[in-house]
Amino acid sequence: MLPRRVLQFLIIYCLFLGLLLTLKYGLALSDYVIPAPSGIYQTALAEFRQYSLATLNTMAVAVIGQVLAVLMAIGIGIAGRQSTWLGSFIKVAAYNFQAYPIVALAPILFILLGDGFLTRLLIAAMICYFPVLLSVLGIMSKPIDDIEHFYRATGRMRWQLEVKIRTFENLGQLTTVIAGSATLAMAGTIVGEFIAANAGIGYSIRIALYQSDLGKILIALFLIGITIAIYQALLESLGVVVKRAWTGR
Amino acid sequence: MPLAVENLAFAYPGADVPLFSRVSFRLAEPGFHSFFGPSGVGKTTLARIIAGNIAASSGEIAAGDLSRSLYSHNKERLPGWSGVARHLARVVPPAMHGRMAELIDIFGLGDCIDSRFEQLSMGQQNRVNLIRYLLQDCDLLIMDESLANVDERTREKIILAIKAMFPQRYFIYISHNVIEVAKFCQDILVFRGRGKQPQTALVRGCDMRRAGEFSRAALDVTLLEIMNAA
Repeated sequence: MLPRRVLQFLIIYCLFLGLLLTLKYGLALSDYVIPAPSGIYQTALAEFRQYSLATLNTMAVAVIGQVLAVLMAIGIGIAGRQSTWLGSFIKVAAYNFQAYPIVALAPILFILLGDGFLTRLLIAAMICYFPVLLSVLGIMSKPIDDIEHFYRATGRMRWQLEVKIRTFENLGQLTTVIAGSATLAMAGTIVGEFIAANAGIGYSIRIALYQSDLGKILIALFLIGITIAIYQALLESLGVVVKRAWTGR
Repeated sequence: MPLAVENLAFAYPGADVPLFSRVSFRLAEPGFHSFFGPSGVGKTTLARIIAGNIAASSGEIAAGDLSRSLYSHNKERLPGWSGVARHLARVVPPAMHGRMAELIDIFGLGDCIDSRFEQLSMGQQNRVNLIRYLLQDCDLLIMDESLANVDERTREKIILAIKAMFPQRYFIYISHNVIEVAKFCQDILVFRGRGKQPQTALVRGCDMRRAGEFSRAALDVTLLEIMNAA
């Protein structure tokens, strides 16, 4: 899984780089607009360490944000699975919130909480929270009648068992959603940093943008892509391990 | 009178014609009874109404002493996170564990009882499902195609064992196998073809209780009655 993910990213990145260089040489653009390969290489040598640390900083915020979002989504998804007033309210609220661009709320958070760790964490969590919540709500609200019937008929059904059955039956979907939400968490953190934070790779990109240094941005994109690819592959592998342990196959 | 159904009718919401109407019958004694008829006439719906899973459009059910009814069917699955033996041990009351071991043996499941449910054949899955229902505390057990995909000899063995082990329990057995129904059941509620009135007819079956203990002539008469009723 890991080599495949990394290889996929490298192919896409190389194609992107090739397209930029084709544009550069095709349209005779200056090194100021699109740096030459040697320039990109020099930038990579100069910035690799600092950008790697910044990417890890962003990744750490994204991972914590994602864990918080997944835990909250599972909690709220379980509470909202029932066709009670509360369940319906949670579902409607989740759908409505999801339709709103969360990034647009980022400036409010920066104003209220400053440009530190907490704001970045909140933005990361909020961006990946609603898609995960909607998936969890969908999974938890759908009865698995052919398994649940016996427990209901014999009076053995408890909410914990209901959740366990529905989780087990939709394990593949849940794993995919959680792995997919890693990208959202990372994107959320970077956008947050790009807007106003004082650390992370998004902040570095903002500085590179002010300097109009495409080389630095390309190095940042490379590090972001490779980090997400590795993280997603790790999440998928974890999903496979959990599935194998639980289902025996 | 433990189970009496009077003028029962059921229509799906928005349907112009009811699935069935004016269905009346009485099951006076415990034992193996049956609903028999072609697909789509309402056997399962009637069974689920009796079990209390869905409500009838009109009519009455007098359950008498039958305080607990269970409905089981052949599409049910067991959770896949543990083996069949572990699952059964959890859902079968401890007092019934001896009987569970006996049933596992009679049902021919000894070799696969530690497997996970999905690893079993369809016939084995249905037998496992039936065991967990049989060992619940209930007065009426509805078995909707519960022995589907099980070979004929094993089915016969299972039905005779159930009749011997649970003589005080009511069973409603839904099957499309007319010979099996005629041979093993006491009262057979035959669902007649669409448009016929009344929509059901009660036929007396051979109610065989021990292997080989039945009259060929009686079986032929029962089969003829079922065919005529249908």
